[in-house]
Amino acid sequence: MSSRDESVSRRKFLGAAGGAAVTVGLAGCSGNGGGGDDGSGDGSGDDGSGDGSGDGGSDDTSLLRYGRGSHSATLDFQNSTSGEVAKVTEQIYDTLINFEPGASTLTDGLASDYSLDGETASLTLKEGVTFHNGEEFTAQDFVATYRRFVDSEYEHYAGDDYVSAYGPFTLGSWIDEIQVDGDYELTIQLTQTYAPFLRNLAMFAAAVHSEAAIEEFGTDLSENAVGTGPFELDTLDDSNEQIRLTAYDDYWGDGPEVDEAVFVTVGENSTRAQSLASGELDIIDGIGAQSSQQVEGTDGVELVRTEGINIGYMAFNIAAVEEFQDRRVRQAVSYAINTEAIVNEIYSGFATEASQPLPPNVMGHNDDLDPYPYDPDEAQSLLEEAGYGDGFSFELATFQNPRGYNPSPIQTAETVASNLGEVGIEVEINQQSFAPFLEYTAQGRHDACFLGWYTDNADPDNFAYVLLHPQVEESELTEGQDWVSFDAEGYNTSNRSAWANQEYMDLVEEGQRTTAESDRADLYNQAMEIAHDEAPWVYLDYAEELRGVADRVSGFQIAAISGPYLNLVSLE
Amino acid sequence: MFPKRFVLKRLLLLVPVLIGVATLVFSILHLSPGDPALTIAGERASQEFVERIRADLGLNDPIWVQYIDFLGNVARFDFGESYVINRNTTVREVLSNTLPVTLELALYGQLFGILFGIPLGVLSAVKQDTITDHATRVGALAGISVPIFWSGPLLILLFAQVLGVFPTSGRISSSFSVSAIRVTGMVTIDTLIAGEWDMFRSAVRHMLLPSLVIGIYSMALISRMMRSSMLEVVRQDYMRTARAKGQGAKITILKHGFRNALIPVITIIGIQFGGLLGGAVLTETVFAIGGIGTLLVEAIEVGDYPIVQGTVLTFAFLFTLVNLVVDITYSYLDPRIQQ
Repeated sequence: MSSRDESVSRRKFLGAAGGAAVTVGLAGCSGNGGGGDDGSGDGSGDDGSGDGSGDGGSDDTSLLRYGRGSHSATLDFQNSTSGEVAKVTEQIYDTLINFEPGASTLTDGLASDYSLDGETASLTLKEGVTFHNGEEFTAQDFVATYRRFVDSEYEHYAGDDYVSAYGPFTLGSWIDEIQVDGDYELTIQLTQTYAPFLRNLAMFAAAVHSEAAIEEFGTDLSENAVGTGPFELDTLDDSNEQIRLTAYDDYWGDGPEVDEAVFVTVGENSTRAQSLASGELDIIDGIGAQSSQQVEGTDGVELVRTEGINIGYMAFNIAAVEEFQDRRVRQAVSYAINTEAIVNEIYSGFATEASQPLPPNVMGHNDDLDPYPYDPDEAQSLLEEAGYGDGFSFELATFQNPRGYNPSPIQTAETVASNLGEVGIEVEINQQSFAPFLEYTAQGRHDACFLGWYTDNADPDNFAYVLLHPQVEESELTEGQDWVSFDAEGYNTSNRSAWANQEYMDLVEEGQRTTAESDRADLYNQAMEIAHDEAPWVYLDYAEELRGVADRVSGFQIAAISGPYLNLVSLE
Repeated sequence: MFPKRFVLKRLLLLVPVLIGVATLVFSILHLSPGDPALTIAGERASQEFVERIRADLGLNDPIWVQYIDFLGNVARFDFGESYVINRNTTVREVLSNTLPVTLELALYGQLFGILFGIPLGVLSAVKQDTITDHATRVGALAGISVPIFWSGPLLILLFAQVLGVFPTSGRISSSFSVSAIRVTGMVTIDTLIAGEWDMFRSAVRHMLLPSLVIGIYSMALISRMMRSSMLEVVRQDYMRTARAKGQGAKITILKHGFRNALIPVITIIGIQFGGLLGGAVLTETVFAIGGIGTLLVEAIEVGDYPIVQGTVLTFAFLFTLVNLVVDITYSYLDPRIQQ
């Protein structure tokens, strides 16, 4: 009996399944061919036809759609060092001091006046600025913001596992004390004279939270945002990887000119460029050479480019490889590598050859220095002079994924290997993904490695001190030796070359303590000359900043630091 | 009778499988280079800062302590908080955002595969060795062979760029905000539930190309399987008997042949579903749909261990679950399997 029941129901099941499949399948075929929703012909019939452009949204007058490669899940500038996070928080929050849109000079932000005199920074804040929650902005908000970032004694301190490394890196390590005089006067005492400090205040990580919001949300500020910026948060949609903002009517500065802005994530560069071309996006960033050419060849959109504030380089690990301890060998390698070909062929001309650690648009860049020309003969004779005429071999560590300053690392490494092969130097390429690569090279296990840097604050110190100064006690250094071990106490591992040139270090330290701009520029000029001649790196390139912008967008100001300035953008 | 014993046995088998996967994931991540503390801290961090994070995460504990902790957490489906991608957010929450995205894509791909694969397979078998059959078979072979990273961009180029009938990327037009009406996390369903017809239309239009791309492979596989299974059934005695009784060809095929031929196809459909989840990685990348596939790739790239662990185990769990359901269905349809 039961087995009979079972066979009947099994038959029923198969019958039903088959019947449904055939029916729906036929319906799908005879419909508009698109099929594939839940079988309600009504839905699929409607959307196959009609509003092709409606979905593209070009008739939506004031929604600005900004396309980028990665989503940023946190809305808190104290929670991340990521540039993707900064793009969004720059819209919602303000800093005390701003970068001039499209330039690396400073201009007023929430502070109307600011000055740095010795170890004291004085700021006068703007009055009448309100946060999105209606609270008025005062000096107390900055103090609370600062303490939440770096002060573990503060009851609203965000926690070691929450705050980003920018806390100590840009503020905590330099600030001794903050004094408040009334609601609108701030005096910041520094631990030493530190010339780049005002620029640090202009970084996205130094933006200002509302004290009331800090108290209300705590670390939930990663999902909520209360700033004084031109846009307010509407929704953070992690599931669709979109962040939607609406214009803040009481914004103190210029704009915004649109009602809404949305950050859309399109991971694949070519798809992002296609979305721009088809009118689904208004502005896109993070496009490589190939997609830039794609944008260039499309009607209705424009490729906007500007000089970047970054450097791509190959660092010699001077501590690890005996050959590299001879300056002539480092120069020989610099001569032997055809950087011109790398920049023009591999990076498709969207970068320029580098001559020194500081890019051209940073104060202190030495205009008299030229990139090492491609000269294998000179390289050979330098090697012979140094006693390595028969060549030697080393391992070149590289990351695999494209990065702005090195869009094709593997190809670049292969070019380096083949160039150096011509002068008898054998290069073994060790490629790794980025996270393990960083660890490997930070431990000084490489012979040489590729790396690069995007500036934080467009200050020369951010390159010269951060990347090439060992930052160790004097006792760790050896007289007459221009390198130091990676194992030295407190060694700055961002200096991947282990270079410790006393003359250079003195100049760069002097640069930190000198506030007069022209004197500073002079110091860095000299430091750059040393860095060029001593060649602790092979200077590869300065990459351009590239954006794709639809023709209906006006007022877009491409910026190599800070931004995007969506408040200045309007749509036609 | 419902095969209780069989199901119970299979369910219990899930446990060692999942422990095995968990152990494997844990070992691979801990053997591979890359220091999570350094990953979290970023390039700007001082050594002291990195040390503090390492201690906070318990990375200084002996490896077996970490392993036991990990297994305990897995049992509670707790993978901790994301290191990088969505810092200070639980992996569970991250997955609850991304899993529906991939499931939606896989479901539509599957649906597409079934709707077109089965009729095509039947057609091909019935019209064996005719031009229809050959065309279908060549089509199926092409469908299996063509990689998604090629067919995807090509379809985008044709339908979105040249013809301009479908959008290139995303799940819904950026002019709509769907987070307020979120129920299942699947936009086509959420918009339908909310009765937002403009949104629904947009969601469906966005879903068409990706599900087509991901469904082609599935369709090809199903149609091939359906064809061979059908051909086998057609040669059975009962089919000849039915015809001999004077029953019409159509009725014989649909009523007797089709149902029996469907049994092995159901297995394929189930196994396929796992494959679809995998294929979703490429489809999601090409169409900029941020599902669990792209999440996994990104997590591996940036060294976000908790996300990698959570995603792989969720994949493994889903995969084994689907297989289990297939086995149960199969044993239900064909009781001989239970032996």
